[in-house]
Amino acid sequence: MTKKVNVLVACGAGIATSTVVMSKVEQLFKDNNIDVNLMQIKIAEAASKQEDADMLISTTVLPTTYSIPTIKAMGYLTGIGVDKLNKEVIDTAKKIQDEAN
Amino acid sequence: MTTNNTVEVSDYLRDQLIFLHTSFKSTDELFGAVSDVAKENGFVTDQFLPKITKREATFPTGLQLEHRGVAIPHTDADTIKKEFVAVVVNDQPVNFKRMDDPSQEVGAKLAFVLGLNKPHAQLEMLQALMSIIQDDALVEKLENVDSVSTVHELLSNKN
Repeated sequence: MTKKVNVLVACGAGIATSTVVMSKVEQLFKDNNIDVNLMQIKIAEAASKQEDADMLISTTVLPTTYSIPTIKAMGYLTGIGVDKLNKEVIDTAKKIQDEAN
Repeated sequence: MTTNNTVEVSDYLRDQLIFLHTSFKSTDELFGAVSDVAKENGFVTDQFLPKITKREATFPTGLQLEHRGVAIPHTDADTIKKEFVAVVVNDQPVNFKRMDDPSQEVGAKLAFVLGLNKPHAQLEMLQALMSIIQDDALVEKLENVDSVSTVHELLSNKN
């Protein structure tokens, strides 16, 4: 069975930018047939939530280091480098799925 | 994706919170002015100013676009009593730290101060705002805007 990937989507306040990124990556995962659980959080919550998650997508600076792969997703806000960012998100999720098999 | 084009950034504009031809020298001055008017008109609590100042210091919101900078400062939902998007067009760029790298700064003439209190609920408006930010010609128009009515015009019917 293919693993369902648990993805944290974080920004500073958990209000604005992560909302935009949530919808972008939701569609992206759907288009690539990757089964995910998305959770929108404040970046301050990431440290405690990483245990139950596989990857972290953030629009803000990372205040610490994490045990799970992290991706900076400012490009979804500025429109700069979106293709590369999409590829990084998909590649990371696929790698997590491969490793779980 | 279901995109609801009936929601526009202009729906969130409040005329008192459109600041044109200002000459703020810093984010502190800018936040202070926005907070004063927002508080006076019942949009925010007393905690808005300290919280947005602190949040901007820790998690800055300056976005480096291809040709210019824009900032989208915002803070916790519990400081917002009535939702708004404040528009600040400063004559000179105000230095914001960059969202992706706080060790660097970006000069922004245009700032959208987001007063949002329903986390996750304003997707359409935020998507509309992001597509505005990504439209260089439109941002340039906003940087040179002269009237509140033009701001409304430029921020409606986008997409």
